[in-house]
Amino acid sequence: MIRSSKTWQAVAFTAVAGLALSACGTTDTGGGSDGGGGDDCTFKIGAMGALSGANASIVIPSVDGAELALDQWDNDECDVTLERFDTEGDPAKATPVATQIAGDESFIGVIGGAFSGETRATKSIYQDGGVPMISQSATATDLTQEDPVEVFHRLVPYDDYQGAAIAKYLTDEVGASKVFVVDNSEAYGEPLADRVEETLGDAMVQRDKTQVGQTDFAPTISKMESAKPDAIFYGGYIAEAAPLLKQIRDAGIDVPFVGGDGLYGADFGKAVGDAGEGAVVMCPCAPIEADSTFAADFEEAYGGAPGAYAAEGYDAMSVFLAALDDGARTREDVLAFVNDYQGEGLSKDIAFDDNGDVPAEQVSYWAYKNEGGTLTPEVEVKPES
Amino acid sequence: MDFDALINGLDRHTLDGITRGSIYALVALGYTMVYGVMKLINFAHSEVFMVGTWTVLGTYTVLGATAGMGVGMVIAATLLALLAAMLASAGTALAVERIAYRPLRKKGAPPLIFLITGIGCSLVLVETFGQVLRAFFGPPFGRVTVNIPSVIETKVVFTIPGIDLPVTNTRLLIIIGAIVMMIALDTFVNKSRLGRGVRAVAQDPDTASLMGVNQERVIMLVFVLGGAMAGVAALLFTIQYDITKFDIGFIIGIKAFTAAVLGGIGNLRGALVGGLLLGVVEVYASQIWDSSWTDVTAFIVLVLVLMFRPTGLLGESLGKARA
Amino acid sequence: MSQILDSYRGLQLGNRWDRAPKWFRTVALLLVVAFAFYLPFLNILPFAYIRTDLNPTGSDWASVLFLIVVYMIAAVGLNVVIGFAGLLDLGYVGFYALGAYSVALFGSPSSPVVQALQSRFDLSEEWAVPFVMCIPIAIAMSLTAGVILGAPTLRLRGDYLAIVTLGFGEIIRITARNLDNVTGGAAGITQVPVPPGPEIDGRSFFNTIDAERWYWLALVILILIVWLASRLEHSRVGRAWLAIREDEDAAAVMGVAGFKFKLWAFAIGASVGGLAGLLFGSKQQYVEPNAFMLNLSFLFVAMVVIGGSGNIVGVLVGAFLLTYLPERFRELQEWRPFAFGLALVLVMVLRPQGLVPSRRRAAEIEDRRHEAEEAAADA
Repeated sequence: MIRSSKTWQAVAFTAVAGLALSACGTTDTGGGSDGGGGDDCTFKIGAMGALSGANASIVIPSVDGAELALDQWDNDECDVTLERFDTEGDPAKATPVATQIAGDESFIGVIGGAFSGETRATKSIYQDGGVPMISQSATATDLTQEDPVEVFHRLVPYDDYQGAAIAKYLTDEVGASKVFVVDNSEAYGEPLADRVEETLGDAMVQRDKTQVGQTDFAPTISKMESAKPDAIFYGGYIAEAAPLLKQIRDAGIDVPFVGGDGLYGADFGKAVGDAGEGAVVMCPCAPIEADSTFAADFEEAYGGAPGAYAAEGYDAMSVFLAALDDGARTREDVLAFVNDYQGEGLSKDIAFDDNGDVPAEQVSYWAYKNEGGTLTPEVEVKPES
Repeated sequence: MDFDALINGLDRHTLDGITRGSIYALVALGYTMVYGVMKLINFAHSEVFMVGTWTVLGTYTVLGATAGMGVGMVIAATLLALLAAMLASAGTALAVERIAYRPLRKKGAPPLIFLITGIGCSLVLVETFGQVLRAFFGPPFGRVTVNIPSVIETKVVFTIPGIDLPVTNTRLLIIIGAIVMMIALDTFVNKSRLGRGVRAVAQDPDTASLMGVNQERVIMLVFVLGGAMAGVAALLFTIQYDITKFDIGFIIGIKAFTAAVLGGIGNLRGALVGGLLLGVVEVYASQIWDSSWTDVTAFIVLVLVLMFRPTGLLGESLGKARA
Repeated sequence: MSQILDSYRGLQLGNRWDRAPKWFRTVALLLVVAFAFYLPFLNILPFAYIRTDLNPTGSDWASVLFLIVVYMIAAVGLNVVIGFAGLLDLGYVGFYALGAYSVALFGSPSSPVVQALQSRFDLSEEWAVPFVMCIPIAIAMSLTAGVILGAPTLRLRGDYLAIVTLGFGEIIRITARNLDNVTGGAAGITQVPVPPGPEIDGRSFFNTIDAERWYWLALVILILIVWLASRLEHSRVGRAWLAIREDEDAAAVMGVAGFKFKLWAFAIGASVGGLAGLLFGSKQQYVEPNAFMLNLSFLFVAMVVIGGSGNIVGVLVGAFLLTYLPERFRELQEWRPFAFGLALVLVMVLRPQGLVPSRRRAAEIEDRRHEAEEAAADA
């Protein structure tokens, strides 16, 4: 009996406490209570991408670039903040983030997704919420070509363009006629290598696939030894490119090595060491001239040279801020502004076609050569369109 | 499917497979020894290997070792790195045992709990190099791939006559290193007094402790030995591949564990056989298809082997593994 | 720390619960369920501090709740395999993936399988298997996979089973990644169908914005699964599992056919995992192989063991904590995995029986602790 009376006391206490506390008030959970209305210009812009994890180094510089654009923005009327949402590049972690952003009216735009997978998973959410997106680095072809949504825009050319540009570099600049194409079997490397293969046609001698996390590439090397290529293309990331390249050179294969933008970044030189000397990385990122104020400003703010897609991140933010300057105060206004935007950006002249892509003739595509551990711009490449 | 590519270069691919498998075999020893004595899968063992690779990098950095040094310097730097990696890996293995396994043993926890603390320890070690050390010291720690100087320059030392197969110095080192360590360990377990204790506990812990074998000491010994072997594997790995990374152990750990089971977990010679076989199967599969199918092939081979020999190729007892 | 645990033990919540009158237990359960349904709208301080969207970079509370419930379903299913039957399954993510891929492969108009069916049978381009039909397909596929995997391997001893199941999980993921013309390869499959429902405000009932509806759907399924699992635990089959788990040889002597009941456990666990995967894939409306990495298998096992293997309430608690805490503390960013690992070790070392252990398990551990102490004293 004593026990059950104690239970009763507990129940009663919980009930009273609950009631008492419920009078204390509610929390602001963002759900559209602030911002958005009237002439009030208090807005948030989300940046969504892998800010932690193995691939963060390809994403963080672009978000830093966006923040720099915001810091340099001169507007007394508006109060804009950049909110960084970490997705670890995982589509499953990106969907709650997208739902949160779409449900909070104070967000008038999203910079991202940084990778194609998370963009594919979230763009219908943003479409439903009417949130305009500008991606700094998602390159999968289907995002705009097969399955376009109105809200999605991107500043980088898609895989078809990149594949064609890389193939052109290989045949025209390198002068290769027997290219060995390797990919990492992932959503990034495989379609890119497919496009390179398509454009190369007969100029490709053999194709091989590897895996993320692989360190021993002996089977690929022995295939190379019998194929005797005069150039090698690798579609994949730095972590696997480093041991692959080292083993290629150890085997005495001295032909040019070309990689996609997955290898772009300051980490490349550090990871490959001496074996990486002269390796070429192709990237839809315009070189940032060392004497431009952007490079200096970036270095001052973040303590390092602008990394991968920093200029694209800066441009994406600038487009959104220009919309606010133009008097846009709702998502519909911003979306309409972005759709019609035309202007000079840091990375290229910016405009978006009906699918959300930058017109091919305005894209700049560059080959960077690894010299003494740093990537230095070598030549701009334009595929025949 | 391309069987021609496999058949044409069969000697070459076998050598590739044995090189790859030698590393698996050395790491597999750690799983197998701990399993033989404690009937426990030490999930943190992959990170014991990872710590070894970082130790090699650290030793080279302290010594200022780079590519292209004189022969004497190369040998000295490599031996020092070997010693350091063995010590660091053995120490890590011992620490894992102390922190994650011993308290559970005292409480009589079921095997499943050891698995979770093992996974927890593995995560802690991985994040120590991926996050904690980076937060305090910055690069080279962190989540990016790090280059380790190729102190030993790769070159062809001889060509196997008859089949005209060139063999490089690094390959030779890996294969010979793995086999020498295997023989040394096998001799130690089978011939020495301490080794007899290990075998006794593996066979029957209760009887062994009645016979005056200190079980705790035997457990510490197997963790130290397994860790040291992972340290050797770490040095050989860095010689061949020149990199490390915070999560470099994960895949190698799974492969080594597979190798241990394939050969018969708990059996030292089984680890060697399983490791080499797994390496060869993987390389063959990459030739027939490509490297994206290696893991599927390897696991299917594992299932087939277990269906016909449910305790692996050589059976499982560490206690019964003798000449 | 151990003092806190002791005082918690002193409350004897489990015993009190058992002794409470039936009407009280019914009312309490109903209250808990009602509260669970109300959770997405919980906005009263201080309780609202459990929400995950309080700071500016938090993630949507209802979406997180949905994910928690999906993982709870998976954990309850895995508990049948690990907790009830005592089989170590490190490839549970394989079944979860199969469930998600089933609904994508058969229900999405952009999947290669559906497109092949369209051209084979002259169907329109919008045709796909309706969502409702995808449910039995998903359950059937994961169940079949469970039987196919189990039949040859369940005769193996515990730790061999662990590596074989781990391999199975990887085989499923890699195959899905490599078979471009069946599964869409690494790029995955979009346009995965959602459950049917009335249109509201021009959007389908289950849409990408109103995540709480997904959460409620998952919650209903979870309640159903929990009810089924607890009935199963106390059935003849459940007692057979108990016997096998404790001593397979003794069970065989008493006439309990070990293999048959193990296969049952595997098949049931697999189909529940498939169901969880189906929910995940459908809510996501996008399925890709990297969502089913090996780590997720380990996470599922950790949920079961941390909570208290064998006890459904414990497993629910474990799944909740391991999913919720990393989302709630997003501001810790890159420190979360480290904290996670540390927590796994600490919790297990301090409380090896799990946070909410099954009473039988706690007693077993207590026994073994005494044995271990005695053995130490002898030595």
